[in-house]
Formats: sequence, C-alpha cells, structure tokens
Amino acid sequence: MFFHIVLERNMQLHPRHFGRDLREKLVSKLMKDVEGTCSGRHGFIVAITGIESVGKGLIREGTGFVTFPVKYQCVVFRPFKGEILEAVVTMVNKMGFFAEAGPVQIFVSNHLIPDDMEFQSGDIPNYTTSDGSVKIQKDNEVRLKIIGTRVDATEIFCIGTIKDDFLGVISDPSATT
Amino acid sequence: MQMSLTADSPVPSSSTSSGDDFAALLDAELDSASDVSPDPEADEVDEDEDSGHDSAHISDLERIKRRKVEVLESTGHQQNPTSDGEEAEVSASLEKDECPHPGCIGGLCIRCGKKMDDESGVAFGYIHKNLRLANEEIARLREKDLKNLFRHKKLYLVLDLDHTLLNSSRLLDITEEEGYLRCPQENLPDALKGSLYNLHFMHMMTKLRPFVHTFLKEASKLFEMYIYTMGERAYAIEMAKLLDPGDVYFHSRVIAQGDCTQRHQKGLDVVLGQESAVLILDDTESVWGKHKENLILMERYHFFASSCRQFGFNCKSLSQERSDESETDGALATILRVLQKIHSIFFDSAHEESLLNRDVRQVLKTVKKEVLKGCRVVFSRVFPTQFPAENHQLWQMAEQLGATCTTEIDPSVTHVVSLDAGTKKSRWATREKRFLVSPKWIETANYLWQKQPEENFPVNLETKQ
Repeated sequence: MFFHIVLERNMQLHPRHFGRDLREKLVSKLMKDVEGTCSGRHGFIVAITGIESVGKGLIREGTGFVTFPVKYQCVVFRPFKGEILEAVVTMVNKMGFFAEAGPVQIFVSNHLIPDDMEFQSGDIPNYTTSDGSVKIQKDNEVRLKIIGTRVDATEIFCIGTIKDDFLGVISDPSATT
Repeated sequence: MQMSLTADSPVPSSSTSSGDDFAALLDAELDSASDVSPDPEADEVDEDEDSGHDSAHISDLERIKRRKVEVLESTGHQQNPTSDGEEAEVSASLEKDECPHPGCIGGLCIRCGKKMDDESGVAFGYIHKNLRLANEEIARLREKDLKNLFRHKKLYLVLDLDHTLLNSSRLLDITEEEGYLRCPQENLPDALKGSLYNLHFMHMMTKLRPFVHTFLKEASKLFEMYIYTMGERAYAIEMAKLLDPGDVYFHSRVIAQGDCTQRHQKGLDVVLGQESAVLILDDTESVWGKHKENLILMERYHFFASSCRQFGFNCKSLSQERSDESETDGALATILRVLQKIHSIFFDSAHEESLLNRDVRQVLKTVKKEVLKGCRVVFSRVFPTQFPAENHQLWQMAEQLGATCTTEIDPSVTHVVSLDAGTKKSRWATREKRFLVSPKWIETANYLWQKQPEENFPVNLETKQ
C-alpha cells in the first residue's frame, strides 16, 4: 500500500555548501540519501514530494559539519499481509516462482499455485495449466495476495499466493494475441 | 456431515410418509437403546442433536428423524461410527489449519507465510540465498519432479567444472612457454578461439575442454543438468556464463562450495533430483563418498602447466606443446556416447510401466560390465606381495568392467596384466600367446568405456640394477 507521510531526518552538511543555495543542496542530498531506501517501519521511500520544514542547524564540534533536522513529505510503499499486489515474475523454478512489485521481492511457492498448474522445465521454465491456456513464466505480470511479510532494515520480502479467486496471470507479453 | 448427506440424498416425496413411520419406530428404538447404552459418547451425541434442534427451527422434525435413521443404520454396520467419524473430522481439520512448514525463505514459511526461526532442514542457497527446505518437502519435490522429467524422457546429470569441463589457471601461474596465450582473443591460434578466455577481473585464464559446447547441447536433450563444483560461487557463476552464454542449460542450477552440507564432500542432498535418476560426471572420486554408484569418472583435463604441476606430473602440458585433446575422440565425446547409451537403455526397455522403479545406477553398472566382458585377468607384479589382491583398486576396477580376476594362471586366462615382462606369469603369457598388457590398459578402458587394443599397452622388461 502507498502512504503519503511526513518523516524527519537529521541531515549533515559540509560547510562548503553554505551559501545562497544551502536549502537546495540540502534537499538534493536528502533525495539522494533516502529515495529508494527501505525502513522497517515505513517501508520503501518511493519519492519525496515536498519539504515541510528545515530546522535550525547545529554545528558538530570538531568537524565543522552542521546538522539540520529536516521534515519532509514522501510517498512510501509498504506491503501488508492480505494485500493484493500486481507483480512481475522474475524467476520460475520447481519450487515456485519469484516476482517483484517495485522494490519488493515476493516468492510464491508451488503449494500456493493452483493445483492444476504444473511445472514445465525447458528453455523457459514455466507453470502451465493442463489445457495450456494459462502460463506463468518470466516477465509475466501476475496478481497475487500477500500472506506473509518480513521487513528488514534494508529489504522487504514477502510470501504470496495465487491460489484464490481472481488471482494469477494478468498479462503475458510473450502472447501474440 | 450427516446433515449434508441427508439434504443431498433425494428422497421421493411419495415415500416420505411411510419412511416417517419407519423412522419414528427406529427413533423409539434408538432412544431406548441409548438409555441403556453404557457408552457415554453415544448419549452425548444424542443430546447434542436434540438440543441443537430445539434451539433451531422446529419445522425440521422430519429431518431429525431421518438423521436418526441414518445414525441407526450406520450403527448397525459399525460399532459407534458417529463418534469415530467426528473424531476423524476434528483431527483432519486440525491438520488443515496447522501448516507443516515445508520450508522457509528469509524466515517465512513458504506455505503459510508465518514467521519461522528454526534453522532446520537443508539449505538451498543456490536457488535463493535464504531458502531452506524440510526433508519431507525435498522428497515430495523430487518425486513430483521425477514424473515430470520422465515425461520429457530426461534424467539428471551433475557436472563438475575443473578438469572435467574446463581447466583454469591463475594468470600468475602462466609460464613463459605459455605466454602466447596472453595475447588478445583475435590473435590467438584458430584452435583456441572461442575456447580460451582471459578473465582479467578474476586474474584467471580458462580453457574449455574441446567438444564441450556440443557435449552440453546434446546432453541437454537427454538430461536436466546441474553444475556442481568445489570452487567458490562467484567462480562457478562466471564459468557457467562461459559454458552457457544463453542461460539455457543450467538456469539457477549451479551449486558451489558454499552450498555443500558437508565439508570437502559433494552430496546429492542439495540436488532436487531422485538419486535413482542422477548421473554424475567428475574427475575426483573421493568427494562423492556416498554416491559412487552414480559417478562416471572422467579423465582429468590438464591444459595449463600449473594444473599438471598441481597434480604432480612432470610432463609438458597441452598448452606447452601447443596441442589439445581431440575434438571428436576426446574424453567428452566418448562420455557423451556412453551417456546416450545409458539413456536409451533406461528409457527404451520393454517394460514401460515400471519406469518409476528403474534405477540408473543399475544401468550404469550393466553398461560398465560389458566393457571387458569375457576377459579373464591375472595380475603379475602389480600388487604388493602381502596386499590382499581383491581389495586393490585395479582388481576392483577390472571386476566392475566385467572382467574375471584370478590370482593363479589357468588355461582360461586371456590377459596378463603386468608391470614387468620378465615375471613367470608374463613369460607364460608370451609363450601361450595370451595378451600381455600394462595396468594402463584397464585404467584407459575405465575412462573410455571401451576395451582398448592390447598392442597399445606393451609391457617392458624391467631392467635389473
């Protein structure tokens, strides 16, 4: 799920950046530092949308660096148990398949793939229904449900299922029709 | 359960009235029976039913009665089946709720998504860094995969890298004589183009064994292939890229040192394939302690001088002589023919239905036994005097190849394997016009899976000091 929230961060800035465009420097450094990172509490920080406030700077003794407390608005992405996500399949093997929804990696084990889909090895490993009408392979888009999440300091990993109504392949780039 | 049964069973309306009478009769019977019943569970069941329906709609009197009929009928067949059935149902539903946790990935159960902390099961780091599978799950996957594989008429093939499919050397160890190898790719002799790689970033030079590309292409039609090396993961991945640039043969099936469950041993426990369908190609027998029967031993491929030195050979390496193994008659081409033979025997046997019961290890043994079939071998001055001959490697090798070994000469002996032409047995062989060969004859037959022309393995007279 996406959230628009306000976060705070203490930014350290080298004195050489002090000047007219101090604020711009601070913002660009903030973007570089936090966009794309993941925090266990909030999930992935997708984009900074605005700066709420920049607090008073505090000179660090001995180094000359100045610490500014910066409050910023950002869009974060955090998967939840029970959430339905659309993801791109990245790897298929006999254990199941891996998919990615943006920065989140999801594993769908073969226990959670409908029973009528069988693993097919070969040049392009895939899961196919017995009549061949549905096929899951690399680069397919699937809709899946999250049943478990593990949030680390830098990574979110999920277990998903497609064994439910309205879940499964939603687009097949390899299909010609 | 009983409710649904009754609801499902279509009872013609015309017969209901008579059925009701009958049911009422049975009802009375049942009540009286339960009154005297010493079994408390039977009472409980009845009470449950009654109370349940008191609180529910009263209109379903008929149904209650019919239910009781069923209860009675089934009691007639079996002693107290209601409670049994209920118990079974309860335990079944418990099992359903409780996930057996077949494995975990990154600390999450792969089936129910719950957090798991225990480090049980076997790690499959080569599939995903944090994947662990329980033994039951591995067995289940293997069984499922085997059927799938047999449908494609394939078996598993585990391939070693160094000295089997290729030979690598550190750039530091390249001798002056081999300096010609250092030039850029386009200036290399034609024979080495596309098979010699200078991997500066790893400080390595790698030479693929002649025929390896054809070998992989042909073998991939018959086998699902794994790479299994004692090298490090990064090295294994680089080598896999050289061997399989299109990533069509191996996918993620590259097993390296870090994935082994036992130090200095390779095991099939991390291979998701039934052991009875796995063939292994490796140049080192000792690492496959538990799986010798699956192993096809390869003659070591030494291209670089450093590799020869490492194994204690003082001869010139292939690179120093600027030559190479034969493309069409080399070890890989020979072994490919053996693999094809084993594969066709495994799948083309007459009794199709027992495919799942077949064992490729048996096929391997049978094919091997054909090599020196009919040969009767006597050894002379090969084993130390006090050594029990039956335990010697050569003796066992010869027996595995189908030869019969004896310790004493008799008229049926066909070959005398000797290190010295001057021994009594050797002289007997020359006199009686039997083959006199050096032990190399057996070793070569073992590598090439073919009886070798005896005249290529002459025995010299040992010079006496």
